[in-house]
Amino acid sequence: MSSEAVDYDAQVAAVREAFEREFERFARFQGGAGTEGLSLGEAETLLRELGELRTRHTAKKSALAQLMKLIGRVPAEERAAFGQRVQALNNEVATKLDEAQAALDNRIGQLKVERERVDVTLPGRRPRRGHLHPITLLRQRIEDIFVSMGYAVEDGPEVETDFYNFTALNIPELHPARSPQDTFYTTDGLSLRSQTSTVQIHAMQKRRPPLRVVAPGRVFRRDTPDATHNPMFFQVEGLLVDRGINMGHLKGTLSEFVRRLFGPDTRTRFRPSYFPFTEPSMEADYSCFKCGGAGCRLCKGSGWIELGGSGMVHPNVLKAVNIDPEEFSGFAFGLGIDRMCGLMYELDDIRLLFENDLRFLEQF
Amino acid sequence: MDISYNWLRDLTGVSVEPRPLAERLTMAGLAVDAVHEKGDDHVLEFDLTSNRPDCLSHLGIAREAAALTGAQVKLPDLTAKNVEGRAEQFTAVEIEDPNLCPRYAARVVRGVKIQPSPEWLVRRLQAIGQRPINNVADVTNFVMHELGQPLHAFDLAKLSEFRIVVRRARAGEKIRTLDGVERELDEQMLVIADAARAVAVAGVMGGEETEISDATADVLIESAYFDPQSVRRTSKLLGLQTEASYRFERGVDYEGVRRAQDRCVALICELAGGTATEDAIDVYPKRITPPTVRLRPRRVEELTGLKVSAEESRRILDSLGFEPAAGEVEDGELTFGVPTWRTDVRIEEDLVEEVARVYGYDKIGEALPPSPVTGEYLVGDRRRRAARQVLTAAGSNEAVSISFIEESSGVDETGASRFELLPGLQQVEGEGAWVALSNPIIEGARLMRPSLLPGLLEATRHNFNHGTRDVRLFETGRVFAASAGSDGGGESRPVEVESFALLVTGEALEDGKAAGRPSDFFDLKGALEAAADAMRVGALEFETASVRHLREGQAARVRVGGREVGNAGRLSEELAARYKFRQPVYVAEVSLSELLAVGERPARYTPLPRYPGVSRDVSLVADRRVAFGEMRRTILSLGIEECRGVALVDVYEGANMPEGKRSLTLRVEYRADDRTLRDEEVDAMHARVVAALEGEFGAQLRG
Ligand SMILES: [Zn+2]
Repeated sequence: MSSEAVDYDAQVAAVREAFEREFERFARFQGGAGTEGLSLGEAETLLRELGELRTRHTAKKSALAQLMKLIGRVPAEERAAFGQRVQALNNEVATKLDEAQAALDNRIGQLKVERERVDVTLPGRRPRRGHLHPITLLRQRIEDIFVSMGYAVEDGPEVETDFYNFTALNIPELHPARSPQDTFYTTDGLSLRSQTSTVQIHAMQKRRPPLRVVAPGRVFRRDTPDATHNPMFFQVEGLLVDRGINMGHLKGTLSEFVRRLFGPDTRTRFRPSYFPFTEPSMEADYSCFKCGGAGCRLCKGSGWIELGGSGMVHPNVLKAVNIDPEEFSGFAFGLGIDRMCGLMYELDDIRLLFENDLRFLEQF
Repeated sequence: MDISYNWLRDLTGVSVEPRPLAERLTMAGLAVDAVHEKGDDHVLEFDLTSNRPDCLSHLGIAREAAALTGAQVKLPDLTAKNVEGRAEQFTAVEIEDPNLCPRYAARVVRGVKIQPSPEWLVRRLQAIGQRPINNVADVTNFVMHELGQPLHAFDLAKLSEFRIVVRRARAGEKIRTLDGVERELDEQMLVIADAARAVAVAGVMGGEETEISDATADVLIESAYFDPQSVRRTSKLLGLQTEASYRFERGVDYEGVRRAQDRCVALICELAGGTATEDAIDVYPKRITPPTVRLRPRRVEELTGLKVSAEESRRILDSLGFEPAAGEVEDGELTFGVPTWRTDVRIEEDLVEEVARVYGYDKIGEALPPSPVTGEYLVGDRRRRAARQVLTAAGSNEAVSISFIEESSGVDETGASRFELLPGLQQVEGEGAWVALSNPIIEGARLMRPSLLPGLLEATRHNFNHGTRDVRLFETGRVFAASAGSDGGGESRPVEVESFALLVTGEALEDGKAAGRPSDFFDLKGALEAAADAMRVGALEFETASVRHLREGQAARVRVGGREVGNAGRLSEELAARYKFRQPVYVAEVSLSELLAVGERPARYTPLPRYPGVSRDVSLVADRRVAFGEMRRTILSLGIEECRGVALVDVYEGANMPEGKRSLTLRVEYRADDRTLRDEEVDAMHARVVAALEGEFGAQLRG
C-alpha cells in the first residue's frame, strides 16, 4: 500500500486555527486586561462560555486530544518534531484559556466584593441592655478593692437604737447630731442610722480583733433635698482593729485605695479634723482626678477633693464593745459614695440618683 | 468665720505671708476655705470643726499660728486710762442659778460720750464683715472677735435699782430683744434681770429697753460664762442664733472673762472717754478647775507612727498653753494642765492629736497594715451580682429609690397595706404595723417602705410623664415593718427584710430586640426565672393566687422548694388607676433574704444520651382553667421512666374555639439510656400520656 505523505504540520495548523477562531472573542482578556466595564452577569456568561470552549478544545475527544494521540503513530523520524509542535500548541491553548479565565475570575471576584460591600458605620445589631445603677457600679468597685485588701464586707440595720447610732460612737447625750433637726426618728423613738459607723459597733461585737471590715450602705440625714443634698445617701465605712495599728497604716490604706480607684498617680493629703468617734482624727483629700491637681471647676480650683473623715478609733468606742484600747488600736474611715459618684460623673443635680429616670440610668 | 490677717499679725508679730499661713493652719486642722484680699488686709475664711470654740476669735487663731511658727502671742493692753471708785458703789450682781451661770462680772464706765468709732476700729470690723454702730457697741463687738468672749453693754441708768440679777425667766415673762422682736420666755431659760424685769436673754441677746443710745452716759459692761447647753436650748427655742450664743453654746474660756472685760473697758475709756471703776464685781460661785491629762510619750508613736521625742512633745504642748504639772513624773509619764480655753482636750489621745497635728500629719509615713485576715464578700453577694447581671443583660435597669414613702402610697385609709407584703414581714396588725418617721423632711413621706413596689411604681409614673413608655426596672433593698416583740435584749428593732422587685411595662423585648408586642405576664415571669437561675436557687414555682395588689386571674404566688418567697403578676386596676397608668404594668416582689437562704443548686453532670430520643406532639382542647403546669405534672407523675420531659409548643385561644376552651400543643420527649426506642414502644407510652390527659382534665384530642 502506497502511503501518501501525511502533512502533519497542516493538521496542527488546522487545530490551532480552529481554536484561535473561537477564542478570538476572549483574546482581549489575556494578560489580565480587558475585563473593565463587564457587568457581573456578562462576566459570568463569558466565564461559562469559556469553560465550554475549553471542553470543546481540550477534552478527550477534542481535535487537540486527537493530535496528542497521533504522536505515537507518527513515523519515528518525524515524531520528535511533531511531538514538539503538538506540545507547544497544547501549552499555548492551555495558557490562553487559563489567562482568560483568571481575568474573568478576577473580575467576578471584584464585582462580588463590590456587591457585598457593607456600610460598617450602620448601627450594629446589638441586644438592648439594661444598666446597673451608678451607685451600685461604684459600690462594687469599692467593695472589690477592699476585699482584695483583706476586708470583710459587713452590713447592719438601717433602723437603729440610740446605743448603736450615738452612744457607742461616743456622741454625747446633748450633741446636735442627735437632735430631731438632723436625725430621723421613728415614732417608736428609734433612729435611722445617720452614718454607717454603726456597723463598726455591730462588727466589733460579732468579730473580735484582729478584724478588718467595710460596710457600704444607706444612711439618712434630715437634709432638705436640693441639687447637692438628699435625705438619704450611701456611705462606706471601713474599720481595722489589731495590735500595733497607727495612723501611718490609715494613711497607707486610704492612699492605696484612691490609687486603685482613680489611678496610680493619685496623691493624698491628710488634715487634722474632728469626729466624736475617732481620736486623733483626720480628713483625707485626694488629688483631683480631672485636672490631676492643677485646679479646675470640679475641685473648686484647689486641686484636691475631699475623700472623707477618718481617724484612730476613739478609746471610748473600743471600750463600748469591750476591747482594751491599751492592747488594741484601730482606724476607721467613712467615705461618701453618692458624693464620689456625683463628682466622677459630674452630676449637676444629685437628686437624679433616686428619680430612676431611664434617660439617666441608661447613661451608665 | 472671718479672720483679719493684719489683726492677727498685731497679736502675734507672725511674719508668714497670708496664703502660706492659711496653708499651715489648714494642715494643722483649722481649715481655711479661702483667702481674700481686702484693701491692705487679707481675710482668712475659716471652716472650723465644732470642737474648737477657742478658735472663734483672733486670739484663738493667733495662739495656733504662734505655736506653728514659733511666734509669741502678745496680749493687748488691758489698762484703763481713767479709773475711780469701786464697782459696788454703782451696781450690784446676784446670781440665783449658779448652775446656768457659773460666773458673772460687771464693771462700770461713767460719763462716756456715744459717737461713731474711729477709722481704725471701723476698718477692723468691716474687714471681717461686721457693721459698725457706735463706739461702745463696736468695742464690745471688737473685743468679742479679738478675744472670743461675748460682752454686753447696758445703759446703767435704765437698770431698775442699777443692779443685775441672773435668774431663770418667770412663766410667761416677755422681753423685747435688740432686734425689735417681743419674745416669750419659759422657766428653763436664763435671763439677766434688773430689780424689776428681764433685760437680756442670757448669752443670746440683750433687751431693747436697756440698749445703749446716743443719750447714754454710764454703761455697765457684762462679761460672763453661761452653761453651754442652757444657751443652746434657749437659742434654739427662740429661733435666735447670735454671735454670742454661737460662742457660749460651744463654750467660752471661763478664765478669760475678766481679761475681755478689762480690754473692753480700757478701749471704751480710750474711745468714748469716761471713767472706769477700778475693779469689777466678779461673782464666781462655782470655780471651774481645768482637768489634768497624762501623756505617756510612747503613745504618740503607738497611735501615730511619728517618732517624736518626749522633749518635742512637751515643747509642742507648751506652745499651745498646756502646762506641765510638776512633780508627777513617773516612768517618763508627763502630766499637763489643760488650758482653760481648750474644752475639747480631756484624754491622752487628745494630747497625742495635739502633738501630731502641730508636728505635722504630713510627716506620718505611709504603710499598709500587716494582713493576718482574708477578705470576704457579704454572704450571697456573688449571687446578688449574678442576678443583677442577668437582669441588665436582659434589658432591665437598676433603680435605687428613697427608703421612705408617702404614707398614702403604702397604706390605705383603713391603715391596711395596699400591697401584699413579703412572707414574714408583717408581724403586727393594725396601727403599729408600720415603721413611721416622727420627723419626715419630705412632705408626707413618713413611712419606711414596707415594699419596694411603691418606689418602682413612682419611678414608672415619672418615666411615663417624661415620655418613656417602655419601662423595665428592678431594685434590691430593705423593706420594713414593726416586729412582733422584743428580741429579748430589750431592743425592739423593726423587721428589715432584703427585698428584690421587678417591674415590666410597655413593648416587650425578645432576645434583646423589640418584639413588636406589649409585655405580658410571661415577660415578667421569664425575667424573674432568669434572675433566680442566675442565683442558682432551683426552679421557681408559680401558683395561681389572689394577691392584694395584683389583678385577679393574672396573679401568682411564687415558691422555691415549697417555700413561699413572694408574688408576681399584673398590677391591679385599682392601683393602676391610682397611678393613672393606661397600659398594663407587671410587678414582682420576692424576698431576697429567703432566696439566699435557699441553698445554691449545685451543677450536676449527667452523661450525654447515647441513644436518640423521640418527640411526640399532642394537641388537646381543654378548659382554659386547666393549667399547663398541672398537665405537665400529671404526665411526669405517670411513672414512665423513658418520659424525659414535657415542653409547651403552642397555646391557641383564637376564633373557632368553644367559649372557655383553649388548645394546647405539648411535646413529650421519650428516651431510654440503654437502647433505641422502637416505634411501638413509644406509641404505647404516648397513648398512656394522652389517655391520662383526657381522663384527668377532660381534654379532647385535636385533629
Ligand atoms: Zn480639679
